Amino acid sequence: MSDNFAIYTEGLKKRYKGKSNPTLNGLDLRIPDGSLYGLLAPNGAGKTTTIDILCGLKRFDEGIVKIDGLGVPSKLSDIKRIIGLVPQEIALFPMLTGRENLKVIGGMYGVEGGVLNERVDELLYRFGLENSADRPITQYSGGMKRRINLLAGLLHKPKILILDEPTVGVDAQSRNLILEELAKLNKEGTTVLFISHYLEEAETICNRVGLMDGGKIVLEGNPTELAKSHPECKNLEALYFKLTGKQMRDTYE
Amino acid sequence: MLKRDLGGIILMFLMPVLLVILMANLQDSTLNFVKGNKIPLLLVNRDRGELGAAVVKEIESSGLFEIESDTADSYLTPTSMESRISPGDNMIGIFIPEDATKIIRGNVQKYVVSAFNGIDEVPVDNIVDITVLVDPAAKGSFHSVLMSTLRERSQKVQFEYIMREISQQVNDISPVAVNTANFSGEQFVIEDKFVTREGSNIMPNSVQHNVPAWSLFAIFFIVVSLAGNIIKEREGGSFTRLLTMPCSYAEYLISKAAVYLIVALIQFTLMLLIGVYVLPCTGLPALELGHSVIALFFVGFAVAVAAIGYGIAIGNIARTHQQASVFGAVSVVILAAVGGVWIPLFLMSPQMQLISKLSPMNWGMSGFYSLFLRDEGFLSVLPEGLALLTFGILCFTVALYTRRKKRIYS
Repeated sequence: MSDNFAIYTEGLKKRYKGKSNPTLNGLDLRIPDGSLYGLLAPNGAGKTTTIDILCGLKRFDEGIVKIDGLGVPSKLSDIKRIIGLVPQEIALFPMLTGRENLKVIGGMYGVEGGVLNERVDELLYRFGLENSADRPITQYSGGMKRRINLLAGLLHKPKILILDEPTVGVDAQSRNLILEELAKLNKEGTTVLFISHYLEEAETICNRVGLMDGGKIVLEGNPTELAKSHPECKNLEALYFKLTGKQMRDTYE
Repeated sequence: MLKRDLGGIILMFLMPVLLVILMANLQDSTLNFVKGNKIPLLLVNRDRGELGAAVVKEIESSGLFEIESDTADSYLTPTSMESRISPGDNMIGIFIPEDATKIIRGNVQKYVVSAFNGIDEVPVDNIVDITVLVDPAAKGSFHSVLMSTLRERSQKVQFEYIMREISQQVNDISPVAVNTANFSGEQFVIEDKFVTREGSNIMPNSVQHNVPAWSLFAIFFIVVSLAGNIIKEREGGSFTRLLTMPCSYAEYLISKAAVYLIVALIQFTLMLLIGVYVLPCTGLPALELGHSVIALFFVGFAVAVAAIGYGIAIGNIARTHQQASVFGAVSVVILAAVGGVWIPLFLMSPQMQLISKLSPMNWGMSGFYSLFLRDEGFLSVLPEGLALLTFGILCFTVALYTRRKKRIYS
């Protein structure tokens, strides 16, 4: 059954040393192949831990984790070839130009020569960076850095793309472009796991969302259908607040 | 790409070069003094005979003294010489009086003639008064060497005259001629040899010490940059991206180490070239690299591996950039101080020499000394090289273990 999902977790548990409550408390995450899935959660709900576990960056205590039917961590080297991670931080080499960054990172993914050059040119064009590609990253605006950061995760044409808040700190134009391209990528067959604080973004582009709280999924479904099934909530944000509460969630545990 | 941080590149290579040039020149006089700096000596020889000549010759050949003699326009006496003996001027003065040889010869003649003629009453000697003036600041060892030289020479001259006089007296009464001219009286040869296998007995000059010492220090200082870089990548998100790429953590570290290894070897080569070509321009002796280039680069490579391994270990153990930079820099300075980079090993106390063997920089210094001072080959530096490589690999293993302990895959 798990083989039908691009990302599948069952009873996933993770407790950090010295913390009384588990960060993940039996997380069942089912992301169908080819979907654009929005994972929404307040701070401290376990989003980043979930991403780290999916990408093999952290160990988990209990449960099953499968990416495209491949188990974590036993098939991690195979999994790394099919996933693309876009971290929240701008993970680029500041002394290099945008194009050089993409070529270096592409080379690390094993994409080389003419194929890499073509792919870099194509992505730079799609994300409106072709004219600034040869300038050092240090001269880029926040939105341009975000876009290059995103492109770096797409160079090897990943089957599954995981994005951790890719639109944080960007202007409306850059955000719009990013969201449009993510939707296009999804239509081209890439499964996208989109993690964001901006609920309206998820509502706009995602065909499926999961609301996470207390280390597990509390509600999941199509955003439009979810809103319909809760007529008392005028939008996804209202539903989100209803389920997770309005109190601040940042903790120092 | 390198042009973008030209300043950084220049600093990376220029700072160690400046360090070598500066330290080699600063330590030159100190090391020369320790090795046997020449003591300024004022020598006034009024004797025209063999005693004066023999004493002058002996003092000159000792190599310990920088000799100044009186000139025609500065006729010195023992009293006037006193004003010329001070720390800033001459530290020792010797005055050999006029006709010293003649007086000794006359005395010897009187003794021998009296002895051969059965005269019990020995005539009163004319005393030869050689004056030695010593500045109180002069090292006792130099004073001792000088006094023993003077005593030895005057006794030798006296002995030769006694032999000559006796043979002359014997020839007067013997039908067979006796010749003692070829009897030198030197029946003992005391041979002194430096034991070359013990590192502590080696006395390098300033260049032989400072070039390898500061090359080692510069290579090890890569630790700060390497550890900082690992933490910066970890904190900045690049690390997360790198770890999601299809390669293992060990591969990631090895590729990072390879880049730093190239930098370290370029730095090392540059420092050697400075020692060979630049330092002689500042009045220092040129660095002689020894006959084995393979051995030289083997030690350089092993030092780089040790330093890079150490940097990788710190980068994985330290939690923050501050921890890595402070611990990295301070620990490298301590390892350098203990290892004989700041102060050459032979100047350390026996206890410190023993402790210094714990520092990888000491192993490196020992290897370089073998090549530069003893002109030894690959096999002789193999133990030091292997020790350094083992240290580097051990540090690398600690880095991987630390990562595993932090419960992270890859």
